[in-house]
Amino acid sequence: MKKKGKPKDPLEVIGCSRGYSKEELINNLSRHANFTPNLIKQVKDLPEVMLRNSGTPTAKKIVRMMRDISGEAYRAIQFTRTEINDRGVLYGVVLLKHQVIDKVLNYFHDRWPQCVICLYNEHTFITSIINEKGLIHEVKSPLKKVVDLISSERPSMPYFEDIQFSGEEIFETLYNTQNIKERNNPRYFKSMIPEYCYKLPGLKKGVERRFTPQNKKLDEFF
Amino acid sequence: MPSILEKIRILGSSSKFDICASTASSRTDKYPKLFGDSKKWVGTTASAGICHSYTPDGRCMSLFKTLYTNKCIYSCKYCFSNTCKQRVSFTPEEYARTFMKLYSMNVVEGIFISSGVCRSADDTTEEMLEAVRLLRFKYNFQGYIHFKCLPGVSQSLLKEAIALSDRISVNSEASTKEFLAEIAEQKDFNNDITLRQRWLKENRIKHNENALKIVKDLKKDSKSVGLQEKMIKDRRENGYKKFRWDGAPILNSGQTTQFVVGAAENETDWDLLKRIDWQYKMIDLRRAYFSSFIPIQGTPLANKQAALLSREHQLYQSDWLLRIYHYKLKDLKEVLTEEGNLPKGDPKVHFARHYFKEHGLVDPNQASYHELLRVPGIGPISAKRIINLRAKKVSFKRREDLKSVGVVLKRAEPFLVINGRNQTTIDNFFSYKEAKIFQEGIQ
Repeated sequence: MKKKGKPKDPLEVIGCSRGYSKEELINNLSRHANFTPNLIKQVKDLPEVMLRNSGTPTAKKIVRMMRDISGEAYRAIQFTRTEINDRGVLYGVVLLKHQVIDKVLNYFHDRWPQCVICLYNEHTFITSIINEKGLIHEVKSPLKKVVDLISSERPSMPYFEDIQFSGEEIFETLYNTQNIKERNNPRYFKSMIPEYCYKLPGLKKGVERRFTPQNKKLDEFF
Repeated sequence: MPSILEKIRILGSSSKFDICASTASSRTDKYPKLFGDSKKWVGTTASAGICHSYTPDGRCMSLFKTLYTNKCIYSCKYCFSNTCKQRVSFTPEEYARTFMKLYSMNVVEGIFISSGVCRSADDTTEEMLEAVRLLRFKYNFQGYIHFKCLPGVSQSLLKEAIALSDRISVNSEASTKEFLAEIAEQKDFNNDITLRQRWLKENRIKHNENALKIVKDLKKDSKSVGLQEKMIKDRRENGYKKFRWDGAPILNSGQTTQFVVGAAENETDWDLLKRIDWQYKMIDLRRAYFSSFIPIQGTPLANKQAALLSREHQLYQSDWLLRIYHYKLKDLKEVLTEEGNLPKGDPKVHFARHYFKEHGLVDPNQASYHELLRVPGIGPISAKRIINLRAKKVSFKRREDLKSVGVVLKRAEPFLVINGRNQTTIDNFFSYKEAKIFQEGIQ
């Protein structure tokens, strides 16, 4: 007799499906800053279709929490600006309310597998480190101290020595050249980099800030 | 000797009209790795791409996009390079180092390397390839590279470019030979563009079929040994002398092209749509980009009127219908104006009005997948969900049922019959009211 497989969720479509699965929710909700164990019970009780489509106020709340988590991780990946020193230590500053530092660290680890990566979280004042083997440590010390300590134990590498020059001006010049004035679209620009993103350490002093349309002060108006 | 900053300023602004922001590559973990599994490789590719910045025109800035040189033997009438007084070039080392610095800052995701044609296409391509080789084998960069194929480049160089890049594009610029001659008289449409596009397709298919065969053979042999181990063993035996493993597919992001919209006189949307439809069918084009013509002071077309941005937008919408929704070209022809241009507004809505006027409104409980796709507000994903749910004997009796599967109701409702009811459109309402007044008048 042919064994019956697990019935497939009809809402699941190849390539993309709306919302999050129960498994994803159970695994990731604990990352949220406002997580309570009761939430997991609520996820288990609600049918998956309700959760996927935000069918009840509770489901809506759970989905919003999940979006907070994935949104924060994605924004950190997008807008964290890093530096690399001649010892192969890549470091930067992030602002993360939820527990997504491992996602961000793994993203950088995949890109620079030979480097030790240090990210300082301005929210928790903790420096998180991922080494070449992918192991994560957390230290409650300032970033500079941690980077200096790790660098002192590593030899200087010609590969990283080769790219030891200031890149800020280069990026600023490149950024200024890419804009087509005739196509300026401040509303779209604002939707792509919303106001809250400028609070992230990477964009705080970023060149993008200068181009964001600001509300005029009353004095300027007159 | 200009500094690197000066070069970026000049060459970056020369390339700003080249459009390609995507960094998405199918070269992710599910396929065999491009250059092997060694930890020496730096960089990754993401299936959806990541944008690290946006310019004030709203475009994503995820690529290190500059020309390699702005020295050019061509004098295309629309081109920005014509006006540039200072002629500069990167050296391969400068180019590679600058990019690696930006990559380490997490401000770019990959490279878009294009160039003017200095001396000959082969000479310039050889230099561009040198920069890419440095990136791949000195800096061990295995991330996203978009390589621009210069008009008239030889097949041997193109083959190497294919092996080293994720995406290659050949700029069509215009839809036909005649229109191209009007804006870039030195370029030969058939030889410089179409022939190169065909070479790209042939080389890609040939290699990827072979790669698929290698992986299949490995899978057959790998019953006792794990597939991954077998792959590694195979690579070790063949050695890394061959810079990439034959089992890995090439040109994962395919080939693209770009058109300058509105530069050639009398070029219609129909001409452009015909060309891209042909390219999707015949040269395996992944997607087309459209760039509205903007007159630049100092060029022969400085006094020509700029093309409307809305036209560019409509072309993208129509392209989407051809590429993703698999509409037929003749379907789109039905909604064109007499001049052969797209009417104002969303082409899908125009087409739906035309189509459902003839065929009647659709019931989501009975319509086929292709009929559902013709309804604005229903895309491939929601259409598939509706079909899947119907197979599970779920019927759609309320508007909310459709909303829950992702249908955009405000767009879809005028074309749907839900539980025997349909929304009255404003046109129907007026025609009903007018008919009533007319009837009352008769009485």
